[in-house]
Amino acid sequence: MGIIIDEMEGKLRPPSIGMKPYEAKVIPLITGEDMLVREVTYDEIPLLMETIEPLMKQPKDFYDIVASRIYAELLGMYRYRVRDEYCFVGAIDGEIAGIVNGRLVNEKLGMSYHTITLRRGVRVGAQLFAAKMEYHFDFMDQDEVLIVAESPNGFKRWMIEYELEPRFECQHELGGVPTYVLTRELWEKHKANKNVGIRPAFEDVVEANKVLHKPAEIKV
Amino acid sequence: MEMEQMYTYKCTKCGKLHHPRYIVCQNPDCDGREFEKIPLEGKCRLLTWTRVYNLPEGYMCPWLNFGIVEFENGVRATGQIGFDEGIESGMELIATVGIVKEKTILYKETVVAPQHGFIFQKA
Amino acid sequence: MRSVGIVGIGHTKFGKSEVPFMDMVCDAALQAMDDAGAKTGRNNVIDQVFVGTMGAGMVNRISGTASAVVDTLNIRPAMAETVENGPASGASAIKLGFMAIASGMCDCVLIIGAEGMRAVTGWEGTDFVATMLHPESEYKYGATLPAFAGMFTRLCMDKYGLESKDLSIVSVKNHANACKNPCAHIHSRVVLERITNPAYINATNPIVADPLRQFDMCPVSDGAAAVLLVAEDKKDALGFGDKKFVKIAGMGSATDTHVVANREVPSDLLAVRLSAKMAYEMAGVGPEDIDVAELHDAFQILEIAESEEVGFFKRGEGHLAARNGETALTGKKPVNTSGGLKAKGHPLGATGVSQVVELVRQLRGEAGERQVEGAKTGLAVNFGGFGNNVVSTVLTTK
Repeated sequence: MGIIIDEMEGKLRPPSIGMKPYEAKVIPLITGEDMLVREVTYDEIPLLMETIEPLMKQPKDFYDIVASRIYAELLGMYRYRVRDEYCFVGAIDGEIAGIVNGRLVNEKLGMSYHTITLRRGVRVGAQLFAAKMEYHFDFMDQDEVLIVAESPNGFKRWMIEYELEPRFECQHELGGVPTYVLTRELWEKHKANKNVGIRPAFEDVVEANKVLHKPAEIKV
Repeated sequence: MEMEQMYTYKCTKCGKLHHPRYIVCQNPDCDGREFEKIPLEGKCRLLTWTRVYNLPEGYMCPWLNFGIVEFENGVRATGQIGFDEGIESGMELIATVGIVKEKTILYKETVVAPQHGFIFQKA
Repeated sequence: MRSVGIVGIGHTKFGKSEVPFMDMVCDAALQAMDDAGAKTGRNNVIDQVFVGTMGAGMVNRISGTASAVVDTLNIRPAMAETVENGPASGASAIKLGFMAIASGMCDCVLIIGAEGMRAVTGWEGTDFVATMLHPESEYKYGATLPAFAGMFTRLCMDKYGLESKDLSIVSVKNHANACKNPCAHIHSRVVLERITNPAYINATNPIVADPLRQFDMCPVSDGAAAVLLVAEDKKDALGFGDKKFVKIAGMGSATDTHVVANREVPSDLLAVRLSAKMAYEMAGVGPEDIDVAELHDAFQILEIAESEEVGFFKRGEGHLAARNGETALTGKKPVNTSGGLKAKGHPLGATGVSQVVELVRQLRGEAGERQVEGAKTGLAVNFGGFGNNVVSTVLTTK
């Protein structure tokens, strides 16, 4: 069944340069649990928005700003207002543990948006961030990804640990926060230590995360 | 500049060598309080080392290498290791002096005040 | 010397404190007072308060904590002092309380250990802790406590054949114990394979201070713990007659060189050995008499090395004992039943008091799922600096 889009809506929707699928992978967690990292389906977007909505009022560790921005970015994706945006979820037994997103600026340049961790203390954020960089470089064959940090945790984890290069003259979509860039060279240098995952993903883990649900309680 | 020279402090009473500077001689059988400054430099042997990724406030690099060395005169010192590849306990190193910290945190302000210290290099 | 013991204990949930620093301190204090049945105001019998904290002044910008505590708890005009001995501030506060009662100057002393480290960012916190290193020959270089623990671990590896996996074994054990301790910071099971498998170790358990990895060291925590000490000969008169009396049988403390490089044997923890010996001698016991121990595992290597220095195992064999499960809850020498600093958390000034609280729970038989059957005598080792000031305590109900 096809959906008919009227002419005006068609003009409002951004064109796409075409995005390749991200192959799901299993990330072993220290607790013995397995986290599946996979693309979010269009129909799951409202659930993700509902999940992070309470965090939009949580000032601790800048959860409020990150949650609010992801909410808007997901809405933009859901209503077809962002060009070439992707969103991955980290899930454990179907429970949403973290969300990352970003978009492609053009074929060679990517733009990282946000990383939010709902299950803290088991390196979910670090793993998800690495997964999105993997998508830009190893799936979409891009040369560079523009990155900003909106929290001290993010700055330490991305700018310092990945040794990102400053590109302050370039304005990231997220505003005036200084822009840094992960180059292919830096990615190749750090990926062995930062990017892990088992492929093909175990069938039982894929199955366990087919249907996503909100965490009963989000402790941040 | 005098700051850029590191020293061993020789007790003028018993001759024991010290690093860093002490107020009283560390020889249990001596009570010397005066020391002669002798440049501490040259060859040393690496006793142990580490690479630290979680640096304190003020360091904007992903990691730093630290080591404890023993100089030929038996004096030991802690310092930074100025290279990344092939660090091994027991290896011979050369002590150089360089800037080990750019900023100092004082009450209510952080001042830019480069501090000099040992940076060990490959012999 | 008068006999001194513990009749009340208090312990906040370690982790990120939801309340201001002083509220956290007073929460632990009131728990200990209520546990013992100590009253405030006109009926107060506490004649001295010692608060052990390393950074209340530096991190929380609150000085004179002990003076503030006696006022807000309405136990004036009790004497009050704040005690600073780095991460051993808590045990030092207990030692001073013990001395105050043993000397006859006081009959009832309240001890609180507390730290609010999460008030600042991780890297400010790392810098704050590093200020206890030698200013000219260590701190200035950007060296931190993990740096010295990393270098110490490498020496032990070279000398005794200890492996990275041995540290993980200790870590997994302490995480499992913490899951049974409601006051612990981290209630998460850790699976050995997940933090040691070479296929993904760098992602699950990254190196922090080579060769130390994330799970080889403690987290940064807020928390407070308290104990109420009384003279045994005044226990009844002060109204604590029906409380189980856990005796402080021995205490010892010792110092070592401030500059770690200048230790005679850099792979030894001399101050641990000397302080434990002193505590054993005062108590008239030896390592064989200890049923349960809390050893300061800010780094997992320290639990192993301390278990040797206090005489539980031969030097260089502590890791073998850990491998064999001898220090597990059900082992011959259970160590860190609370979860240790690794998983219960390490709010610096609180730690020494928290260790003693755990021993009191064990000796009272109130440790729940983590109870060591028939525990009568316990040892706590609280480690300050990188081992340049260590306090050991022996408690007993024998």
